[in-house]
Amino acid sequence: MFKLNPLSKLIFLSILIAIGFLNIVLSCALYDNWLPLIDVAIFLVAPLPNALAQSLSSAYEADFLSDSHQEIPIKEFFKFMTGFLVISGIIFPIILFHCHLITHWSLILSVAGGFIIYLSIVLFIVGFKEEPDEYDF
Amino acid sequence: MESQRLFRFPILRFPNTQAAKAAAIYISGALYAIGFWAMVDASIFSKTVNASVVHVTFVDWIPFICSTLGTITVNMIDKKQLMASDSFGSGSIRWQARLVLFIGCTLLAVGMSGSALLVILKYVVKGYTSMPTLGMALENIYATGSITLSCIILWVVQNVEEDYNYSLAL
Repeated sequence: MFKLNPLSKLIFLSILIAIGFLNIVLSCALYDNWLPLIDVAIFLVAPLPNALAQSLSSAYEADFLSDSHQEIPIKEFFKFMTGFLVISGIIFPIILFHCHLITHWSLILSVAGGFIIYLSIVLFIVGFKEEPDEYDF
Repeated sequence: MESQRLFRFPILRFPNTQAAKAAAIYISGALYAIGFWAMVDASIFSKTVNASVVHVTFVDWIPFICSTLGTITVNMIDKKQLMASDSFGSGSIRWQARLVLFIGCTLLAVGMSGSALLVILKYVVKGYTSMPTLGMALENIYATGSITLSCIILWVVQNVEEDYNYSLAL
């Protein structure tokens, strides 16, 4: 993977998340209908289960190495919740559109904005993860 | 060792890598989300743009609740208790596991058939077969169907994992 200066990475991610919020706020404000703002909440919660699973797995692997292949059941549940929340964030504006609560431009803007917010949070987690491999040996 | 396989045909091998398993779990979560939001959509649709006299009430949610309870029950069982041979685990625990699995599968089936029953009794028999009204009923079927599918995927993933661990131990 290409190496980036942490500062430029940070600036890039902040611009990305600002674009995401801009999209969602536009989708609300242009049509004077603030229902798509709930989508932000769903996409902000979406990365939480995987983050929790990450900390859980590191705590377990510190305990023992022999059973590292065994998937902890709670980790499977967290993965399930991640899939649930990401798809929820995409479906939620579609439902609002289907029930004639928002217009189709509002639908496009809010789905794109929510997805960009989620993407930037995931990129932040991936980009600033410390390398655990160096301490294994 | 060969009897540890899930399917009788050796062609039906599922990809065994960790990433494929994670992807399958994500997909099952996504399917569950589709089912859940289909029900929510039917309710909101009935409240807002619905022009007919039929409305989504608590009765429409019962198949969904049955399917969800079935999914939870089926996937909470420890698979080792079901797969253990006679000499290994105690018989009563295996019997209990089978009973709980039976209850979970029954709940899933009740959810599926309940949604079909609901569509027929509440919509088709009474003559509400034009599209925007029938759409609320069809979403009920989509919801229970996708929840059942997500449950099946989760179940298969967990069983494949058992196989994987076994082959790794040898």
